[in-house]
Amino acid sequence: MGLIPEHVRAQLKARFDLRLSGPVHLTLYTRPGSSRLILPAGVGCATCEDARQMAELLRDAAPEKVTLDVVDTSRDPDRARADRVDDVPTIAVGANTEAGRIRFQGLPTGTEFPALIDAVERVSRTEHDLSAASLVELGKLTEPAEVMVFATPT
Amino acid sequence: MSLANRMALASPQIRAVCVEANEFPRLSAEFRVRGVPHTVVNRMGAFVGALPERDFVAAVLEGAGIPVADSPTPDGPTTELSV
Repeated sequence: MGLIPEHVRAQLKARFDLRLSGPVHLTLYTRPGSSRLILPAGVGCATCEDARQMAELLRDAAPEKVTLDVVDTSRDPDRARADRVDDVPTIAVGANTEAGRIRFQGLPTGTEFPALIDAVERVSRTEHDLSAASLVELGKLTEPAEVMVFATPT
Repeated sequence: MSLANRMALASPQIRAVCVEANEFPRLSAEFRVRGVPHTVVNRMGAFVGALPERDFVAAVLEGAGIPVADSPTPDGPTTELSV
């Protein structure tokens, strides 16, 4: 990703100034890797450094409301296992310091970046905008459920 | 993916994971991702395409083994349900 342009930082700061109300906690699960070498699957992490820049971009846009915790899964695999994080980079979005239940696995670029911004804003405002009927239906869930959505940058 | 995130915000039982499909080819192959958005519930049932809220919620409940009154719209333009 390289350096994030200053005008993008300014835009995000202005947006968060208007739209964030409550606290948001981000957890970045990462491990040391290389953004330059092509490594075999499971070795290193080609996008972890970019994901770190992205997470820091979000935190720095509203440091009074957004906090960031970085977990190196190579040093703390038990934490990743406990938080049910399968791979890196993963950015978890939550309202408190516990692992958020909204996760972005991989570098959220393209169409996923607006979804990440949207997630931060919705968590901050506790604003899911689901219908009353949907909430009734979701109330039927008595066990944890995982909803994985595969997406691509374009 | 926004709907999944909103559901995770509304229900403490739901964990929403947006996966960058190109970055995790093995995972994409495991779940036979051919188009996006491709949604997988509890690593079993899957559907392809963007669904209206009502149908998305119903599909997630169905994937989680919860009986639903109405099945997701069967004739949606890009929707296929598989388990």
